[in-house]
Amino acid sequence: MPLTKFTDLDFDQIKASIKSYLRANSNFTDFDFEGSNFAVLIDTLAYNTYITAFNSNMVVNESFIDSATLRENVVSLARNIGYVPRSRKSAQAQISFNIQYTGTSPTVTLSKGLVCVGAVDNSSVVFSIPEDITTTSSLIGADVNGNGPRRASFSNIDVYEGTLLARSFQVNGSIDQRFILDNPGIDTSSIRVTVRGPQETVGREYRQIENIINVTSLSEIYLIQEVTDERYELLFGDGIFGKKLENESVIEVSYIVCDGSRGNGSRVFSFAGSVENSTGITFLPTNTVTITTNQSATNGSDIEPIESVKYYAPRLYSSQYRAVTSKDYEAIVQRIYPDTESVSVVGGEELDPPEFGTVVLSIKPKNGTFLSDFTKAQILSDLKQYSVAGVNQRIEDLKLLYIELYSNVFYNASQVSDAKQLKSDVISSLNTYSDSIDLNTFGGRFKYSKAVKIIDDTNTAITSNITRVVIRRDLKALVNQYTQYEICYGNKFHVVSEGYNIKSTGFTVEGSSDLLYFTDVPNADMQSGAIAIVKESDSGPVVIVPAAGTIDYVKGEIIINTVNITSTVKENQIIEIQAVPESNDVIGLKDLYLQLDISNSTINMARDTITSGEQISGVGFPVASSYTNGQLSRK
Amino acid sequence: MASTKVSRAFKDISLSFMPHPITKDLPVLVNERAIARSVRNLVETIPTERFFNPFLGSDVRDTLFDFCDYGTASIIANQIEETIINYEPRVGNLNVVVLPRPDDNTFEVTIAFDIVGQDLPPQNISFILEVTR
Repeated sequence: MPLTKFTDLDFDQIKASIKSYLRANSNFTDFDFEGSNFAVLIDTLAYNTYITAFNSNMVVNESFIDSATLRENVVSLARNIGYVPRSRKSAQAQISFNIQYTGTSPTVTLSKGLVCVGAVDNSSVVFSIPEDITTTSSLIGADVNGNGPRRASFSNIDVYEGTLLARSFQVNGSIDQRFILDNPGIDTSSIRVTVRGPQETVGREYRQIENIINVTSLSEIYLIQEVTDERYELLFGDGIFGKKLENESVIEVSYIVCDGSRGNGSRVFSFAGSVENSTGITFLPTNTVTITTNQSATNGSDIEPIESVKYYAPRLYSSQYRAVTSKDYEAIVQRIYPDTESVSVVGGEELDPPEFGTVVLSIKPKNGTFLSDFTKAQILSDLKQYSVAGVNQRIEDLKLLYIELYSNVFYNASQVSDAKQLKSDVISSLNTYSDSIDLNTFGGRFKYSKAVKIIDDTNTAITSNITRVVIRRDLKALVNQYTQYEICYGNKFHVVSEGYNIKSTGFTVEGSSDLLYFTDVPNADMQSGAIAIVKESDSGPVVIVPAAGTIDYVKGEIIINTVNITSTVKENQIIEIQAVPESNDVIGLKDLYLQLDISNSTINMARDTITSGEQISGVGFPVASSYTNGQLSRK
Repeated sequence: MASTKVSRAFKDISLSFMPHPITKDLPVLVNERAIARSVRNLVETIPTERFFNPFLGSDVRDTLFDFCDYGTASIIANQIEETIINYEPRVGNLNVVVLPRPDDNTFEVTIAFDIVGQDLPPQNISFILEVTR
């Protein structure tokens, strides 16, 4: 019998395969006994085969970007398609401060390197600048012998978390010479390279490029690539693409080594910088330097993880550094702004009314819901170099569509002692689902059957659940302003002819001190209706404004006519407006971002008295309704 | 109809790999010699020595660092017995005797056993273990 099984990868399987071969093809018998000499030989053979199989498997796996697991291999494969994985990015803050001193120097230079120290989570983080900043000073008192007290203002300075380091190389002309920066954790955008030729006294700054478009044989450029251990190598021109380095030239490189996302959130800084006068002499300020924070530290991010490289490298390659399709935007925005969790891109022609030549982006950052104006401006500015001429981008704030669950969970009391613990387990399961990719993305879909199953599968004691779904959006009221509002849900509403399909939290309007609510009155066709503003009274709801707006049940759209809202019950001028979706599976349409709101969901635990045997006939079973209640307002 | 019966002899290879002087075949260990060799292999194997089978073997080598007395001898006897019972199913009626010989700094080990399923006389293996301290 020949050896026929070549697919075994497990040591025991290989061993069994060798034994079965020997059983059929030799006179020896003792290989079945672990103490025998033959067992030693078989173990050695099997081990050898196992290692060879493992190595072959590993080599093949590491050869393809989809299956590679080692970072340096993934990065190397991504490099083949022109993708440089994102480096760590320093958190960036904007600060201002004044320096006072006595002397005649008309200018003051803030030296590159350490500027200030911030604090995050009770630990210090340092902030630096990559280049010197010089500003003029002015007299602030009587000038005695030309040594009057002076003040220099440093306004809106961008500082970067991390430590500024420098490294120099001397070009030796060898083709094997490599220019590798030794430190891991470099923010590659902070790299500054100057090259000083053998006959020159001052270096010339080289610029970093990502591709060789418009590069000539005299372009003073360099490329970077990630090498082993998250370090970076500088690649210079060869005399055809980019200027070739002369022998004996000196390359001076400075860069910031940072802690990535750890620097985010720092908002209080203490000065630790070094200042020089116009003659280059370092001096100490006469005042205590107080730093004003214009913008707290944001946008720091860690090095791009392997999974992300695998996902985005082919996509960026297919986008060819051109933002044309929505997938291109997804890949490019992720590259420009690494904190992106999800991107929604809608062409202006799909808007209502259409805006031709405009692309509307919504970006969900990883930690938070909204982008600051500062970040938006930065993203739009960076996007320009990729976008098609004549197309404008606009970043709109995220529109969150919340999904709330009202669940009655039945459990067998004989199998569980603590219903509170069971309830917290259910909430924990739902929280896990709420973090899943189904929801946390634009174009996401809430899958009702999956959520119901997750509740059932939380514990074997859970016998069933009746779960209702409600969708909610938060209307941000412009208080004390006459404003028209439009809220889109992107999902068809379930309509009952009696109304009260829409429920809201309370608010007040100009001219009335009563607490008011939005509600709806369907038309006869049950496809649209009117929005009314009502108040609650002992005798039932009283309509205050009968035609306060319109509602389109099919599109899932509410338009509220001009109204002056003066206050809201909820904080931050929020009015929560909920509806029941026609389908329990909720879709995040266009720029709507789905979020399962567990904190506003209700989980009721109910004893399943039939399963536990307490009730045999079912009399007195706590029946839960599968339909929504008839209350006027949202509680 | 005649049937062919295969002998249930135990047949193992010898790791000396010395060819037979006439046939030039590899040497073969049969029956009691094969089993005796197996028992010796088991006792001499240190746990974790075998690939993917970390429990195979005995801790006798470790125990040889201890004093050469009856206490240690008893421990060694137990270790050998346990190893053979666990990993050598071809032997029965196992009796392990370990005697300390402090003057020579050695233990004298005698393992007596029957071979299961073979019409062979009771077997005795004796060997000396030298204390390593």
